[in-house]
Amino acid sequence: MSHLSEEQLDQIIAEERARPQPPLNEWRTIAARAREEGLIRESSSSGWVSSQPWMQAAAAVLLLVGGIGIGRSTMGLPSATQTPSAPPTASTAPADPVGATAFGSSDTTFASLEEATATLDRAVTDYKRATAFLAANNSSARSSDSLAMYSARLVALDKVFDATESALQTAPHDPVINQYYLATMGARAATRQMVARPVALRGF
Amino acid sequence: MSEMPIDQLDLKRAIAGDERAMQRLWSQHASHIDAVVRRLCGDPELAADISQEVWMQIFRALPSYRGDSQFGTWAHRIAVNRTLNALRKIRRIANLEIDIQDDSAITENDSDRTFLAESIEQAMTKLSPGARAVFVLHDIEGYTHGEIGEELGITPGGSKSQLFKARAKLKKLLANLMDESTTVAPKGKVHVAPI
Repeated sequence: MSHLSEEQLDQIIAEERARPQPPLNEWRTIAARAREEGLIRESSSSGWVSSQPWMQAAAAVLLLVGGIGIGRSTMGLPSATQTPSAPPTASTAPADPVGATAFGSSDTTFASLEEATATLDRAVTDYKRATAFLAANNSSARSSDSLAMYSARLVALDKVFDATESALQTAPHDPVINQYYLATMGARAATRQMVARPVALRGF
Repeated sequence: MSEMPIDQLDLKRAIAGDERAMQRLWSQHASHIDAVVRRLCGDPELAADISQEVWMQIFRALPSYRGDSQFGTWAHRIAVNRTLNALRKIRRIANLEIDIQDDSAITENDSDRTFLAESIEQAMTKLSPGARAVFVLHDIEGYTHGEIGEELGITPGGSKSQLFKARAKLKKLLANLMDESTTVAPKGKVHVAPI
């Protein structure tokens, strides 16, 4: 058995240097440590949507609701904001955090325009009720500055709500304004409940 | 190593505790940073633990990053320093100066006489921790002997001596690998790391 030459060893070293290697840990492991040490601050981890699961779910539904607004406008239907009284089917179902009851499976088909419209209205109603329910029953929030955060969020949402409501007077069928109006309305209601809850229930 | 300039906004956000900004920094540099930790440790499980400490130290030290060097270079220094400290604490590198000067740390033992490595990573595990540190830092990471001396608390001459012996042992351990390989080393290739 002969030894390698210096050049051969250098070649192996160069290959080792260039060899891609995966990280030793997953980000969630690093993030958990960083969170323990206070290096990650929840309040700055995201925008106005909290990192709490229920708010993330709500955010996902907000996009859905935005789509509803756009869909309604595209079809030339009156917006949900103009038809506050939902169809009779809207009020009996239990609160569903993600509106699954309303939408069913992805292969749902509709027999008529009226049926599809009723489903859309039901989804909006379910979304509002689910958001309110989660806000009223969630106790996972825990941060010393939660109240300040929610208050600041509420002030911001109030401003957005006023602005979009005012804009709807001029352009009641604009899909983008409808989207923001509906999204803000739901988030504002949920935030108001969080601000109004007793401190102990906020999980401080 | 060439790298993209760090996004200053990401840096500010990471300092403020923004998880997504921190994750972006980690994603961009984890493979390079973790590689040096893995090589210095020679033990994947230990390396994974130390890597966590390294990244915590990098995030803690973010406010002190002034941009004088590339972020990857700055973080790499932290990784090397933190890993060597961790190895000292758990006595993987005990009395490093003695380890470095002691030829027995390099000389093959009975089991090594019959051992043929299948990769340089495997072969490096047969080096003493001190010799591995010198080899990794010089030949793979590109440190000078003076820089290694500062990191390990030895003289540049001691570092050179240790590197010579480490390379001699690796050439022997890896002989089988090159015998089986059809790759021919390029002629005239010179030692790439700075002396």
